[in-house]
Amino acid sequence: MTPDQKFGPLRKGLLEFLILQIISADKVYVADMMKRLQDTDFATQEGTLYPLLSKMRREEFVDYEWQESESGPPRKYYKLTAKGKSQLAEFKDYWAYLNTTINQLGR
Amino acid sequence: MNTVIIINLNGNAFHLEEPGFQALRAYLERAQEQLKDNPDKAEIMADLEQAIADKCAHFLRPHKNVLIATEIDAVLKEMGPVQTDGEPPAGTASPEQADTRTGNAPPAPKRLYQIRQGAMLSGVCAGLAAYFDIDVTIVRILFVALTLLTGGLWILAYVAMMLVVPFANTGEEHAAAAGAPFNAQEVIDRAKKHYGEFKDSKEWRRHWRQQRREWRRKWHEGAYWWGHNLQRNVHTLSTGYGSHLGATLLIPFLAILNALLFCLWIAAIVSLATTGGIFGWAVAGSVPLWAAILILMFVYSVIARPLRHARKAIYYSTGGYHYLWFAAWYEILSVGVLIVVCWFAYTHVPPVHEFFQHFAQHLSTMWNNVIDSFRHTASPASTAYLSAAGAAASSAFLALRG
Repeated sequence: MTPDQKFGPLRKGLLEFLILQIISADKVYVADMMKRLQDTDFATQEGTLYPLLSKMRREEFVDYEWQESESGPPRKYYKLTAKGKSQLAEFKDYWAYLNTTINQLGR
Repeated sequence: MNTVIIINLNGNAFHLEEPGFQALRAYLERAQEQLKDNPDKAEIMADLEQAIADKCAHFLRPHKNVLIATEIDAVLKEMGPVQTDGEPPAGTASPEQADTRTGNAPPAPKRLYQIRQGAMLSGVCAGLAAYFDIDVTIVRILFVALTLLTGGLWILAYVAMMLVVPFANTGEEHAAAAGAPFNAQEVIDRAKKHYGEFKDSKEWRRHWRQQRREWRRKWHEGAYWWGHNLQRNVHTLSTGYGSHLGATLLIPFLAILNALLFCLWIAAIVSLATTGGIFGWAVAGSVPLWAAILILMFVYSVIARPLRHARKAIYYSTGGYHYLWFAAWYEILSVGVLIVVCWFAYTHVPPVHEFFQHFAQHLSTMWNNVIDSFRHTASPASTAYLSAAGAAASSAFLALRG
C-alpha cells in the first residue's frame, strides 16, 4: 500500500473541514474552491464536491446564495453559517489536540 | 463523420457527437444511481449538469459548435466520478465503492440459461458456452462428437436440457448467463468497447464475405474429398473386366440405397409437415417448421452427396461409353425401387394410403403449415432464426446444386 492509498481515507475525512476553512475566509463558489485545493494533496473534483456540499448544507454548516456573474449563468456562492463557524472552531481545537498528542507520544 | 445529438444541460443546448453523448449519458445515469437515496438529488444533478455545461463551453469557439467525443471524455474525467460518502459510514463503505467504480465488482452469480440469440436449435449450446465462457462452436462440436460416440444417445441429453433449462429473456438473465455484472453503465461500457471493433462496418462486411467464401470452398473441398476417395476405392476395386463386374454389382446396391434414402426423406418431410414431428418423434417446440424442413434438406444432401459421387466414380471407372448403360441401369433401378416402395406403402401403411387418397388436400395443408410457421416466427425476436435459416438455406442450396 502506497502512502497515498494509506492516507486516502484520512484526506477524505479532512476534506469537509478544509472546505469549511476555505469558505470561512470569503464567500466562494465551487470553481474557486477547486482552484484553492488544486495544488494541495486535497485536490478534488466536482463529482465529489457537489454531493459533499449538499450534505454540509443539509447539516446546516454552510449555506449558499445565487449571484450573477459577468461571464455566464448565476453561480452559487457558499458561506458559513453560525453552526459551521463553531464546527470549524471545534475542528481546529481538535486538530491541535491531535497534534500535541502525536508529538507527546513520540517523546 | 459522426451523428450529432443536441442535448439540454441545465437549460443550455449543446451539440454532442454520438459517442460523446453516450459517454455523458452513462456518466449522468451513474450519478443518478449514486445519488438515488440522496434527498438533494435533483439539486446536485442540476449542479453537476451546470458544471459540465461550463466545462463544455470552454471547448466551443465561434466556428466550432460541436463537442467531439474526446472533449466530452476530458470533461467527464475532470468532473470525476460522483461519490457520496459520509451518508453510510465512510470508512467501511468506501473500499467496496472504489472497487465497483474501477469495474472490479464481484462477479454476479452465474446461472445456466438457454440463449435464443444466435441459437442453432434451442440455444442450449449457446447457454453452455456463455456459462463456461468458451466459444459456442467448440460446444457444438463437442455435442456432435458426443452424439456420434454414444450412437445418438447424447441427443437425449440435449433434449433434456432443452426442456429443463430456462430461457434467458431479460437483460439481467443474459448477464447472469455469462456471469457478467449487469447495470446500464456496464452494458454501455461493454458496448463502447465492442463498438470500435464493429465501427468499420465495411471492413466487417468484407471479412464476413471472405469468411463465407472460405466456408464454401471448404464445403466443396470436403465433398470432393469424399467423392474422390470413393472414386479411388472403386477404381482399385474394379479395373478392366473386373470394373464392369464390380459396377454391375455396385450399381443396384447404390440405386436401392439412394431410392430408399429418398423415400425416407420425403416421408420424413411429409410427416413433419402434417404431424409436426418426424415419425412420431416430436421436434422441439422452439424450432419452427420451415427451419426443421431446411435442416432435413441439409441432412439429406449431406448423406446423398457421397452416394452420388460414388455413382459417378463407378461410371468413370467403366470407361468409354459403357457408362451410359450403367446410368440407364441405375435410373431404371432407382425408379423401380421408388415404385415398389410407394406401392408397398400404399397397400400396407394406412396413413400413406389415406395420404394418396387426399393428396391435393394434404399438399395444401402442408404448404399452409409451412407458411404459418414462417409467419409465426418471423417476428422481430426471431431474426436470429432467420439468419440461421438463411445460412442453412444457402448451404442446402449449394449442396443440392453442387
